[in-house]
Amino acid sequence: MRTFFRIIRFAMQSMLRNFWLSFVTVSVFVLTLITVNAVIILNVLANASVKSVEGRVQVTVYFTSDASVDTVKSTQSYLLGLSQVKDVSYVTAEDALIAFKETHKSDPVILGALDEVDGNPLGQALKIRAYNAADFPFILEALETPEYAPFIKDKNYNNYESALKVLGNFSEKIRIGFLVLALFFGFIAMLIVFNTIRVAIYVHREEIGVMKLVGANDWFIRGPFLLESIFYAFIATGIMAGIIATTLRFANPYIVAFFQGVDVDLVAYYSTNALPMFGAQFGILAFLGLATTAFAMRRYLRV
Amino acid sequence: MITFKNVTKEYPPKTHALAGVSFRINAGEFVSITGQSGSGKSTVAKMIFAEERPTSGQILIGDWDISKIGRADIPILRRQIGVVFQDFKLLPKKTAFENVAFALHVAGESGKRIREVVPHVLKIVGLAEKGHRYPRQLSGGEQQRVSIARALVHRPKIIVADEPTGNLDAITAREIMELFTRINDFGTTVLLVTHDRDIVNGLHKRVITLRDGKVSSDAEKGKYLLT
Ligand SMILES: Nc1ncnc2c1ncn2[C@@H]1O[C@H](COP(=O)(O)OP(=O)(O)OP(=O)(O)O)[C@@H](O)[C@H]1O
Ligand SMILES: [Mg+2]
Repeated sequence: MRTFFRIIRFAMQSMLRNFWLSFVTVSVFVLTLITVNAVIILNVLANASVKSVEGRVQVTVYFTSDASVDTVKSTQSYLLGLSQVKDVSYVTAEDALIAFKETHKSDPVILGALDEVDGNPLGQALKIRAYNAADFPFILEALETPEYAPFIKDKNYNNYESALKVLGNFSEKIRIGFLVLALFFGFIAMLIVFNTIRVAIYVHREEIGVMKLVGANDWFIRGPFLLESIFYAFIATGIMAGIIATTLRFANPYIVAFFQGVDVDLVAYYSTNALPMFGAQFGILAFLGLATTAFAMRRYLRV
Repeated sequence: MITFKNVTKEYPPKTHALAGVSFRINAGEFVSITGQSGSGKSTVAKMIFAEERPTSGQILIGDWDISKIGRADIPILRRQIGVVFQDFKLLPKKTAFENVAFALHVAGESGKRIREVVPHVLKIVGLAEKGHRYPRQLSGGEQQRVSIARALVHRPKIIVADEPTGNLDAITAREIMELFTRINDFGTTVLLVTHDRDIVNGLHKRVITLRDGKVSSDAEKGKYLLT
């Protein structure tokens, strides 16, 4: 135990004595973590956006004017029986007309054309929402039966589909970009740790020589260097947690405002997942650091 | 206490530093090893504290065969042997006290014991008052005393000193030798490597002379034989 504390002290001393090296090492660790967290945040945002857009996708099925209310209602319950369908709302012909006039209220040509026709040219309609936007083709296919097809005048996607695809592609690309960046920084971090430990060994060579002479065992000599790399990982993770906490505190209102209506609460996300997430980040950094240090010691520290 | 049985040492590619060295040093002896530069004196010293291993032959410390000592056992051996060098090997950023204490730190001794033992050994080497000084604030002779104190702090049965007076003037050297003699009087086996004729002749102790990696003479109350 006593020896353990002495090893800790030796490790701290080494970090402080090579302050700038330690600083650079921690900085690169932090850079690595920033890119990793960028991927995480991007993931959260992208998932939330996709969900929210998917939730808004709906298909409207317009019925011919000779379709009876019963036909439409039975179509509605048929659709509700499908497991992919989230809900189906019934729109009367009158409501459809009102809605149509509302959407085109600034277009006198269309409104004029509507006045030319007597009565209501629009029929009843059903608005379908699905749990998953990808299921719409299947749902629409299900309506292609002799029972319903003759009464269906038109099926209309409000065109979120292509938007979704664009969003998906885009976030995928950014995610890959950041992952590549994270790997790159991770690699640089390892090189820098290697160099830092190499220099630390060099700086301590005299001390190490004397330690060996007076009978220090391997662990006592190697321990501080291993510990040093763990400290770097720990400090970097701490700084990263600080950065995330402060940025989110200030940025969260803007992010929420930007993603209007989308349920993105990064603060909540990070605070519920803080321990496993930063734990994992620390773990990975510490592992990389230890592996690199062990490698550097094999090369430069003959015990 | 120390037994060399037909020890050879070859440094790759083909330097034969030692070519069949045998001798036996008993507990409590004070033995000087002399010889010309390159005759293998330091190699003998290094083998005793396992900094080098023999290429062939056997080395016993007590009845422990250290010829093929495992890495994990080296620290145990070194805590039983005090070593002193020509260049002192003190840590410049530690005080005399801390330099001595360092050897105990490394062995995991308690702070309490360190505070007891270190002043005691500093007193033995005559530096009771100068423990707080840094090496650069001490004369060469005083620095060597610190390194001797550090070698003594584990209460070793053997002290190995490789040219401990090499950097010191004649008077200081004699003082250091008196210190070694006193340490030997307490019962510690002392192995002194030196090529200083006056020192060897002044000791009137056993002298082993090496030539080209072989023992060329081994005499009780010996003299420095080379010209
Ligand atoms: N690490 C090494 N690698 C290769 N050769 C070495 C090594 N150490 C010593 N030697 C060679 O072994 C021989 C004996 O060296 P050693 O240091 O034992 O001599 P020495 O008697 O102590 O000499 P000096 O009085 O100059 O200190 C020399 O020829 C030296 O060049
Ligand atoms: Mg020598």
